[in-house]
Amino acid sequence: MSRLLLATLLALAAPFAVADVRELQWSDLIPADAPPPPPPVALHDMSQLADALAAEAGPAAAQQSPAEPVVKELDGVQVKLPGYIVPLDMSEDGRVTEFLLVPYFGACIHVPPPPSNQIVHATSELGVKVDELYQPFWIEGPLKVEHATSELADAGYRMEAQKIYLYELE
Amino acid sequence: MYLLRLALASLNNRRFTALLTVFAIALSVCLLLAVERVRTEARASFASTISGTDLIVGTRSGSVNLLLYSVFRIGNATNNIRWESFEHFAEHPRVSWAIPISLGDSHRGYRVMGTSSAYFDHYRYGRKQPLQLAQGRPFAEDPFEVVLGAEVAEALKYTLDDQLVLAHGVATVSLVKHDDKPFRVVGILKRTGTPVDRTLHINLAGMEALHIDWQNGMPARGAARIDAEQARQLDLQPKQITAFMLGLNSKIATFTLQREINGYRGEPLLAILPGVALQELWSLMGTAEQALFVVSLFVVLTGLIGMLTAILTSLNERRREMAILRSVGARPWHIAGLLVVEAFSLALAGALFGLLLLYVAIAVAQGPLQSHYGLYLPLALPSAYEWSLLAGILLAGLLMGCVPAWRAYRQSLADGLSIRL
Repeated sequence: MSRLLLATLLALAAPFAVADVRELQWSDLIPADAPPPPPPVALHDMSQLADALAAEAGPAAAQQSPAEPVVKELDGVQVKLPGYIVPLDMSEDGRVTEFLLVPYFGACIHVPPPPSNQIVHATSELGVKVDELYQPFWIEGPLKVEHATSELADAGYRMEAQKIYLYELE
Repeated sequence: MYLLRLALASLNNRRFTALLTVFAIALSVCLLLAVERVRTEARASFASTISGTDLIVGTRSGSVNLLLYSVFRIGNATNNIRWESFEHFAEHPRVSWAIPISLGDSHRGYRVMGTSSAYFDHYRYGRKQPLQLAQGRPFAEDPFEVVLGAEVAEALKYTLDDQLVLAHGVATVSLVKHDDKPFRVVGILKRTGTPVDRTLHINLAGMEALHIDWQNGMPARGAARIDAEQARQLDLQPKQITAFMLGLNSKIATFTLQREINGYRGEPLLAILPGVALQELWSLMGTAEQALFVVSLFVVLTGLIGMLTAILTSLNERRREMAILRSVGARPWHIAGLLVVEAFSLALAGALFGLLLLYVAIAVAQGPLQSHYGLYLPLALPSAYEWSLLAGILLAGLLMGCVPAWRAYRQSLADGLSIRL
């Protein structure tokens, strides 16, 4: 009986013993006489990993000329062109106000991207609601042809789109 | 007009059930509008966060992932990229400007972004708006200067020249702090309504200095420690960054450069068009949004069916009421009209009360939502779409009113005055 009482008392006292818990800092986990760490190496840095791979990779993809010839006669002509919208900028309500119109959707990685004379850089004040990138649209407006004077100048077609509407299959 | 008066008087007689019905409709309307509001505002805040940036470049991961961590400070980078890669493309002849981004540290839950002064010159949000300073100046040469986003300064009550200590990692409560290298607040940005408000901006050199004496994934001990003053004397040229943003001379060259970056031989890089990645993110979220919308539509329907049940069950009790109305000259179509008006006023009261609930909820939740999720819900008038939703609910209420109206019409024709209850 007295043994049982003792056990109960001990059990009751146990919570008070917790006061002896020692609070540790992470630095306490390292012995004071630990040898200094090896000479520093750059941390968070696995980026050099690529070196090993780069040597084995094939040649970089050939670039197509970004300043392809353009049809100057189209300058100022009111045109209508179907294509896919690649959004560049949008308004707060999610309408695309600036985009590139391209002849096929998706960055197909088997062939280079469309050359510069196959892209129209269009802006639209009102914007267009694009729910799906796979959806082709007609854009209508005056085409502006910017002639390339040097290899890196702005070359290609621009349009201030006046009308943008869905392209439907006949 | 007298029909409306009669309907209201009759409802007043049963005000407890009527109030419950109105409340049920109001709750469901509030839910539907709240789902809609959060959806459009979340999209708007995502859409207005980045503008005018042609390409975002990071380590090879996924386009949505890269967009989320580099622009929205959601999630973490999988790897860093080399400084040389940044330099290579920053000096590319087609590139007009480049902003380096280095992430990974935080201050009391707010992310720290290491960048260069190009960030203040070229970063655009909303409709091509530049960042503006409310107070002070951008960080200069000294590595231990910080420019706060509007919300960081407001929530943590920092003013110019305050000192603060950054923490390692991105947890809200940090155990490992860079407390030997305090930063001084030199500027506070104007509010933008974007994640910029919740960011602390430091120099890339400052980011480098923070970690300069770290060894083997932990801060240096004892003599190996390098304090702020010593760090200032060292070469703080960053060796790696997390991502960078590019602005091009010609948008038409976007694909060409994207292709060139993705095929860069120095290291695996990923270049994304922010607009395209955002569109991909939306089509991902679209399914969840639609599910939420459908659920809340069904809740509204449940509310309206509750109203229908309440009116239908009351019809039998009200045969005498109808009979009396008939005896004083009301025609059967009057009785039918009375019930339609009753249903419509219940739906209308529910919709108005729901709208009120929504605004109260927005007013209450605005602060916490903004600080925890960075989502700003304005107390704006309902949009055209929200009005059309409300109109749809009222129309549904009106149509539902036709069911009891038709039954009452038939009954009042048959019953006459000879009713025994």
